Amino acid sequence: MASAYYEFYRGSSIGMALTDSLDELITTGAITPQLAMKVLQQFDKSLADTMVKQVKTKTTLKGHLHTYRLCDDVWTFIVKNPSFKMESNEMVTASRIKIIACKNGEAIEAGKK
Amino acid sequence: MSFALPARQITFGRSNASQQQQPYQPQQQPQYQQQQQHGLALPSSNPYMSQPSTQLPGPSPLFNSYSQPTQTGQSQSHSPPVTSTNAVAGPSTPTATPVPSTPVPLTLEQQHITAVEGIVPTLQNIVATVNLDCRLDLKTIALHARNAEYNPKRFAAVIMRIRDPKTTALIFASGKMVVTGAKSEDDSRLASRKYARIVQKLGFVAKFSEFKIQNIVGSCDVKFPIRLEGLAYSHGQFSSYEPELFPGLIYRMIKPKVVLLIFVSGKIVLTGAKVREEIYTAFNTIYTVLCEFRKP
Repeated sequence: MASAYYEFYRGSSIGMALTDSLDELITTGAITPQLAMKVLQQFDKSLADTMVKQVKTKTTLKGHLHTYRLCDDVWTFIVKNPSFKMESNEMVTASRIKIIACKNGEAIEAGKK
Repeated sequence: MSFALPARQITFGRSNASQQQQPYQPQQQPQYQQQQQHGLALPSSNPYMSQPSTQLPGPSPLFNSYSQPTQTGQSQSHSPPVTSTNAVAGPSTPTATPVPSTPVPLTLEQQHITAVEGIVPTLQNIVATVNLDCRLDLKTIALHARNAEYNPKRFAAVIMRIRDPKTTALIFASGKMVVTGAKSEDDSRLASRKYARIVQKLGFVAKFSEFKIQNIVGSCDVKFPIRLEGLAYSHGQFSSYEPELFPGLIYRMIKPKVVLLIFVSGKIVLTGAKVREEIYTAFNTIYTVLCEFRKP
């Protein structure tokens, strides 16, 4: 049920690289566009699962919550003057960030029940 | 120490039934004036004048012991030393001039009363409803307004917040709206107007109609511990005290119709009022009762 996954990881650098490669393969005729779609859908699923199951890195974030929104199970936060504290005790700051938080695949399934 | 004799007050407090409306007037006036300064003449300002006489006789027979120095000066007019000041204090009592009775030696009871004056319930929450008189598409609102939450699986309204006045609104598809969290009537109205404006700006033909304050919550601290068992026993028809369920005593006052949560610590929560005067009246009524059940 690949459609249950968000496609936003396709915009990440790894997703972009994959898309470029698939494009190239399609233009050279090595694969069909249908197969490329399949690959991308699997990518959505794999990345979502991997993020949940294998990525254990944590960071803490402090800042002023300027705006929040919840619609269609997607949280949007605009945080002003955030400071991230990484696990390596490194601090990263910015003037303004936008956080978009979606449910992962399992949570979506859980929500449907 | 001077607090030890509160109930004694009844004896002369009762003698001036015509002045029942005074006990809480002075504390109230500052608040009342504040209200007016904001320029929004709220309907709630009016009941202030009409209520005291009708509402003060609450469940407590001792309500009148909660009185002002000015008034006590007057009520003591039976005693010779006071009569001189009475001439001065008499006419001015309606405006509640502060303690013109300086020459009169204050009894313990009177000092106690002046101390009471210092306690005014603070308004903690005001809940109001508004009818925007227009069907709303909640998803549009949730998508375009800031600080909005909409999760139709959980709750069929958009939950929106603003920072000034710090409040939360529940906006329903029918166009009805509930605004909570304001600390004053004016803030509640202002916040409601702001929400209505936000909805308007999203393209709905929202009106601002049927604004009504539904509930006012106040709290205060009488600063002495209370024997809740005794209170529950002697005011059984108003009280519900189940310490195993809830540590506070629930006191359902009939007039004004206000529910009070009374805690051993002396902290009081008053709720269920439609106008702030009901909170004040209820507190003044309960205060004398609480003095009776003060923990030794």
